[in-house]
Amino acid sequence: MFYLTQMLGKPVVDAAGEVIGEISDIAIATGEVFPRVTSLAFLGPTKTPFMLSWRKYVAALSEERIELSAERPALRFSYLQPDEVLLARDLLNKQIVDTQGMKVVRVNDLKLSESKNQLRLLGAEVGIRGILRGLHPAAERTAAAITRVFGRELSESLIAWNYMDLLDRDLSHVRLSVTHKRLHELHPADVADVLEQLGPTQRARVFEHLDNAQAAETISELEDELQADLIDDLGDQRASDILEEMDPDDAADIIGDLPYDKAEALLRLMGVKEERAIRSLLGYREKTAGGIMTPEVTTVTETMTVQEVIDYLRTGAAEHESIYYIYVVESGRRLEGVISLRDLVMSDPSTPVAALVEHEVITVGPDDDQELVAETMSKYDLLALPVVDETGKLLGIVTVDDALDVLEEESAEDLAIATGSAHEAGRLASASWLLLRRSWWAVIWAVVLLGAIGGTARYEEWLRKGLEAGQSSDLKIASGLGLLVWAAMLLPIVLRVAEDVSSRAMAELISGSDTDERLSLPRRLARESVLGLAIGAGAAVLAFAFVYVLQLGNIFGAWPFAAATGTAVLLTVLVGSSIAEVALRRSAAGKRVSGTGLAVASMLIGTVAYLGLTFWLGTLLIPGS
Amino acid sequence: MTTATDTKRRLPFFAFLAALGPGIIAASAGNDAGGISTYSVAGAEFGYRMLWLLPVMTLSLIVVQEMAVRMGAVTGKGFAALIRERYGLRPSLFAMTALLVSNAATSVSEFAGIASAMGLLGVSRYVAVPLAAALVWLLVVRGSYKRVEKIMLAVSSVFVAYVAAAFLAGPDWSQVARGTLVPSMAMQPEFVLIAIAMVGTTIAPWMQFFIQANVVDKGVTTADLPVRRIDVISGTVAAGVIAWCIVLTTGTVLAPAGVKISSATDAAAALAPVGGAHAAWLFAAGLLGASLLAACVLPLTAAYAFCEAFGFERGIDRSWAEAPVFNGIYTFVILFGAAFVLLPGLDLISIMVMSQVVGGVLLPFLLIFMMGIINDRRIMGRYVNGRTFNMIAWTTIVVVISLTVVLLGMTVLGIG
Repeated sequence: MFYLTQMLGKPVVDAAGEVIGEISDIAIATGEVFPRVTSLAFLGPTKTPFMLSWRKYVAALSEERIELSAERPALRFSYLQPDEVLLARDLLNKQIVDTQGMKVVRVNDLKLSESKNQLRLLGAEVGIRGILRGLHPAAERTAAAITRVFGRELSESLIAWNYMDLLDRDLSHVRLSVTHKRLHELHPADVADVLEQLGPTQRARVFEHLDNAQAAETISELEDELQADLIDDLGDQRASDILEEMDPDDAADIIGDLPYDKAEALLRLMGVKEERAIRSLLGYREKTAGGIMTPEVTTVTETMTVQEVIDYLRTGAAEHESIYYIYVVESGRRLEGVISLRDLVMSDPSTPVAALVEHEVITVGPDDDQELVAETMSKYDLLALPVVDETGKLLGIVTVDDALDVLEEESAEDLAIATGSAHEAGRLASASWLLLRRSWWAVIWAVVLLGAIGGTARYEEWLRKGLEAGQSSDLKIASGLGLLVWAAMLLPIVLRVAEDVSSRAMAELISGSDTDERLSLPRRLARESVLGLAIGAGAAVLAFAFVYVLQLGNIFGAWPFAAATGTAVLLTVLVGSSIAEVALRRSAAGKRVSGTGLAVASMLIGTVAYLGLTFWLGTLLIPGS
Repeated sequence: MTTATDTKRRLPFFAFLAALGPGIIAASAGNDAGGISTYSVAGAEFGYRMLWLLPVMTLSLIVVQEMAVRMGAVTGKGFAALIRERYGLRPSLFAMTALLVSNAATSVSEFAGIASAMGLLGVSRYVAVPLAAALVWLLVVRGSYKRVEKIMLAVSSVFVAYVAAAFLAGPDWSQVARGTLVPSMAMQPEFVLIAIAMVGTTIAPWMQFFIQANVVDKGVTTADLPVRRIDVISGTVAAGVIAWCIVLTTGTVLAPAGVKISSATDAAAALAPVGGAHAAWLFAAGLLGASLLAACVLPLTAAYAFCEAFGFERGIDRSWAEAPVFNGIYTFVILFGAAFVLLPGLDLISIMVMSQVVGGVLLPFLLIFMMGIINDRRIMGRYVNGRTFNMIAWTTIVVVISLTVVLLGMTVLGIG
């Protein structure tokens, strides 16, 4: 593998071993998927530029130099051909835009690869790694080493040559050839992923290129928060058309998130049938069976024959989301039973539906929790589950794709609750428990503050005694107490850091307790020290400002106080993560670990470290007798 | 080319008003906190002796800004992009560091200006500066600074009051004419320092990036160049006249009284001929408007240029995840400016002047890059610089560099 920035300036050596110049550029022939390097440009001793045919004269290429196959007098120089492009002059440092101007990057380096004595251009490096290498290879190595400490890889962002389209050499605008034609070939879920990466303006621009059907599918795949935003930004007519194309349950979800006026306007623009379907769903609460079901159900009556049902499927039910189950209803849409598509297809066309129907149907009510619905479906391996009201009337079905979304959503929620970061805790009891569990820091702070108030009273006493008797030991204690009071006020910093360290450990514990994937202890500690140093430095600055701005005391005491604060934060991070490490080991060994215990332990250790340190540093301020 | 013919037909009637664009904004934002304080100090310290610098600097500012506009119109690229493409990675890093440093320094002076203005109104800077930083950050993030731009421009135009003040102060016009037309130098470090600061604030580095970016954003082509030139010249001359009036006013009111400006109150006293008892209020309002406007424009300019040079995602509609570098840079510039001013025991006026010195020292290096690009036929085609422009621009570069060297020499040798 060769990089252009590393090749430039390297010596060019002829067959006699004499240096005849240094590499100044390399030319490629355009028009190939991975273009061949065709010419070598170098600067001679008096800075005169020369060009040579790569094929004819280059004998060997190493990271240090280029060796030629002929001696200096035997070389025949060439000129730049019309189809040739100079890498350093025409590509390096230039901007690459895609044809819609969505993503703009710069060519920081060009990556070449040698195969069968030929050097070929692989593509353009557009990431930070190329910048660092261009500045100095040592900068790249250092950055790579640092990221490795954090267990990451300094990734290379390479745009392959075959995605680049050199439009105009003089305009020096290279364009990416992923056009919106390709966009159409992508799966809606992939388009949705792309859209989620873009800003609102770009998102709207890409969206213009999709037809209504594609737009509808893509929107269904988007994250919930984006769906309503996107629809809200579109014109009413277009938005309404797209919503009509969507499955009514998905459309109802989005409309439910829109402002009332906008929602009404869109509904009124739709066809009567679609409007009714969506309105019927809007009444149900979110996160219930009613909220996620679709009213598009394929229903038949017991009196029909298999042939009639199949005909009906082909004509009337072609648009329905799910036709794997056909529900049998009597007048008034009371659910009677179900037949599967399989039974239908396997049976003789003249068989009456009554002979195939399965009367034992598993159903849910419209107000049942969506999690229950999903679990039921997974338990009985169903592709769709009917929703019926208390009178047995069929309201709609929940299809398997919605159930999968629910499972994903719920597991994310469970994780959030377990680590104490859930914003909504549902019931009051669990909310207050959560409040208490998350407020240990407040409890500890309150206790310490009360102690500190007591300490201030004593402080006057020590100070008086010390001044009267000239006892330096008493003055030392007074000075220590003085600093301690400040520490008590700023204690929340240490407490919140401790809480954060332990809750991060818990999140790690729950999301993946795989021992193989975890970082080794030294590496983990290295990462935590860097983090601790950074937060510690911030806390120290804050502590200094606190004393200085509020004029609590002279600058004499502010320095040791800031130092104590910074050190205490660093200690808390290190000790906290060590405790977490022990906890993770225990949990790997199958033992139960309490998140609250973990948090309280690190908070207490942090408190003791902080108060102890400030007191000690405070006593040092008064020289001994 | 309908736009071109439109422009041509319209030129005699509306072009002048329609052209009041980025040039005016850049020039008005140029008379920001650093500008006002530097000009005030110049007048108070040296009377009319620095007046001659203003016409000279206005001329070089016109030349430099016209070059920036021309580069933008011909190439459709920003200044930072051109530096990267013409000079490569390492020189770009140097140029961008210079820009970032001078922008951070100017940002400090804007927040110092905000602190001074609020100080005049009796608000502590420990309250005013964090609030202002939050406001600026929000305006930038929300992209709504465009909407309040006009308001801030209007408020900062309070400084037109200096024009009236200059007349009401009753200067000795023959002295003024002499000061303006006859160059004089004082071989003392303060004089050189203030001269560099005046260059730094008048031809601020960020302004050239800003005006070129604006031209590129608006899709200005070479056909629109005449209109843009009117914009540049009118904006620059207006700003130059105001600057001249500030030096004249403070030179008339403060210098004879021997007042050395050590706080905003002293500087505001120069407006007494117009504002009377309300001079402080007038001064505070103008200072606040100008500082806020520049504090919004500065961080964005730095972030755009840096990301343009290195190919990072940019744009105010990008989230932190999409454009971490872009968001990081403007946030850093705002925070740095605000945090620096919060350091205890600062002399706000000298901070404002010193930050302009930083800009003045770094300016020639960026101008050298500009000269290389604008004279490159491969990039500019037939729109390369003429001989007069080259002469004026190179003179500016050489003079500013020599001033810096002189200042360094004086400091080292302990003269003055």
